[in-house]
Amino acid sequence: MSNPKRLHPAAMIFSVIHSIKTSIFSLLPIVILAIGEAKWIYVVIAAGALVTIIIISSILSWLRYTYQLEEDQIRIEQGVLIRKKRTISKHRIQSIDLSQNIIHRIFGLTKVQIETAGNDHKIDATLHAVTMDEGKMVHDQLKYNQVPKDIEVDTNEHPEDEKKHPSRKITPKALIIAGSTSGSFGVILGLIGLGFSEIESIIPDRYYNHATDWVFSQAIQILILLAIVALIILWLLGILVTLIQYWDFTITRYEKELFITRGLLEKKQSTIPLKRIQAVGVVETIIHQPLGLAKIYVDIASGEMGSDSEMHTVLFPLIRKSEVQNFLRELLPEYEYNIDQWISLPKRALPYYLFRLAILPLIVTIVFYFTLTDWAYIPLIVTILACLLAYFQYKTIGYEIKGEHLFIRNRDLSKDTIIVKHRRLQAMKKKQHFIQKKQNLASLDTAILNKFLGRHFIVRDLEQEDVDKISDWYSYQKNRSNI
Amino acid sequence: MRNEPKERIALDAMKAWKITAHLVTVIAILFAIAALVIAYYVEFIPYWIGIILLVASIILWVVSAWIIPKLRWRRWRYEIFDQEIYIQHGILIVTRTIVPMLRVQHVDTKQGPILKKYGLSTLQISTAATTHEIPALLEEEASDLRDQISELARVEQDDV
Repeated sequence: MSNPKRLHPAAMIFSVIHSIKTSIFSLLPIVILAIGEAKWIYVVIAAGALVTIIIISSILSWLRYTYQLEEDQIRIEQGVLIRKKRTISKHRIQSIDLSQNIIHRIFGLTKVQIETAGNDHKIDATLHAVTMDEGKMVHDQLKYNQVPKDIEVDTNEHPEDEKKHPSRKITPKALIIAGSTSGSFGVILGLIGLGFSEIESIIPDRYYNHATDWVFSQAIQILILLAIVALIILWLLGILVTLIQYWDFTITRYEKELFITRGLLEKKQSTIPLKRIQAVGVVETIIHQPLGLAKIYVDIASGEMGSDSEMHTVLFPLIRKSEVQNFLRELLPEYEYNIDQWISLPKRALPYYLFRLAILPLIVTIVFYFTLTDWAYIPLIVTILACLLAYFQYKTIGYEIKGEHLFIRNRDLSKDTIIVKHRRLQAMKKKQHFIQKKQNLASLDTAILNKFLGRHFIVRDLEQEDVDKISDWYSYQKNRSNI
Repeated sequence: MRNEPKERIALDAMKAWKITAHLVTVIAILFAIAALVIAYYVEFIPYWIGIILLVASIILWVVSAWIIPKLRWRRWRYEIFDQEIYIQHGILIVTRTIVPMLRVQHVDTKQGPILKKYGLSTLQISTAATTHEIPALLEEEASDLRDQISELARVEQDDV
């Protein structure tokens, strides 16, 4: 039991910044109109008034916002005109995360996010600014079981704790590799594309030797140089962003949850209750795959909607492929896997894969051949690349069933290995068009829940028997009447 | 290899689909006529656009009103077991779906004006991640099934 408490006064700063940020976006058009008509004096007055209102309302709402820890619940009261009281029971709390951005760190504060099991994220509660000690106190008080009692922002302070709870930390070197290879894939593609276009711009030079053309091509080359510089800067920025996001990435396994801390400027904690994990995935992008590297992620039910546009939750940004099994054994033994022999696609499936990917570029190539013959090699290259990709898809795709786990190895562009438990699959479909039927092939489509939406795993053109086998494995109706 | 589901949907489904097809065709033909009228008044728009549209909508009419409903009905099957729902549909691509009762979140029946005319309604089964439909069941049958499924699905659910 404790008395109602207010947030740290710095919470007002956050609320002012937040309100100004949102109102600027909505008012910007009006402001631009007003300035266009040279009525900027009104704009200044209006802005002043708005800021005053925002500041006053922030102070009021700070005054009216109190929270109170009780034996096994937290009670929050808020609202200036409409009073809202909310009580969250300790048993309903899924996770409590502490995070600090720059302002928090200046004042030695923390933000406390309390997430409940409900699908409606509005019922979750956030204490925007409390002191660090207070935050830890709230965390410890409300934790449904007191096992991970001594969670610290910096787990290194408790070396004896780390022995009990397996933990992994990313090295700065791995982060730099992750930054320079993964997110910037598009940029690298762009660089290659530019390389091509430069070759093209050189070829016509032979045909047109006039001085003007030479100057013109010079200019183009300077432009290309600038573009390359810009791309390199973007690439470096990409590395920087990765470093800032994942700096000091540490994942720790507690009895019923995974706990992640990360971030350079903004220290973020997140808790993943094991119950909420729907599937585990290992992604190897086409740059990472030859280097033997991978990223591990999980799909979780719900999570903070909107605040995070990422589909998946990263469990580890970059890891050696050979280490993945050890990682899972240590931190997530529920999803450990060890598969030597994937059940892959039959040879008959290859034409379908080739057709699906290569048909469009092939048509374009043919059209180009008859119209713009000189340029026909561009779609031709695309066609060849598409065929290659299709072949790799065909080679990669496979599945395996072990006990209650289904393993799917899939590829769009990146290789993605997914591990999912039987009870997490929401439904299963077997699809078969009439040509597949003749060839005894079928496609599989199954779905899991991911952030309130479904994520479908589709495996095309498997052996029909295999699809039936998976369906039988999935079926809950073991003693079917119609066998 | 698993057999087809046993139950079929109501015979009147074909009639309902036919009417829907008629309505769609009427709209398509209206578009075609509009194109012809515009071609009459506006010089640079040729007549053949309207003619192609008209021909296409008539083909659409024949296919969607007389061929598709029959094939579709013949393929549509479902079966409700204690533990799961088993659905088959699709003309060119045959899809067989298994929805475990454990995963069912809620069941709805719905009915538009065309289905209402024939006393039919559609059963919609939602899991946390997917939605499945059994179209055009007899009203009573649909509501019975809805209650039956929600009864069977009423099992202690662990987290999602």
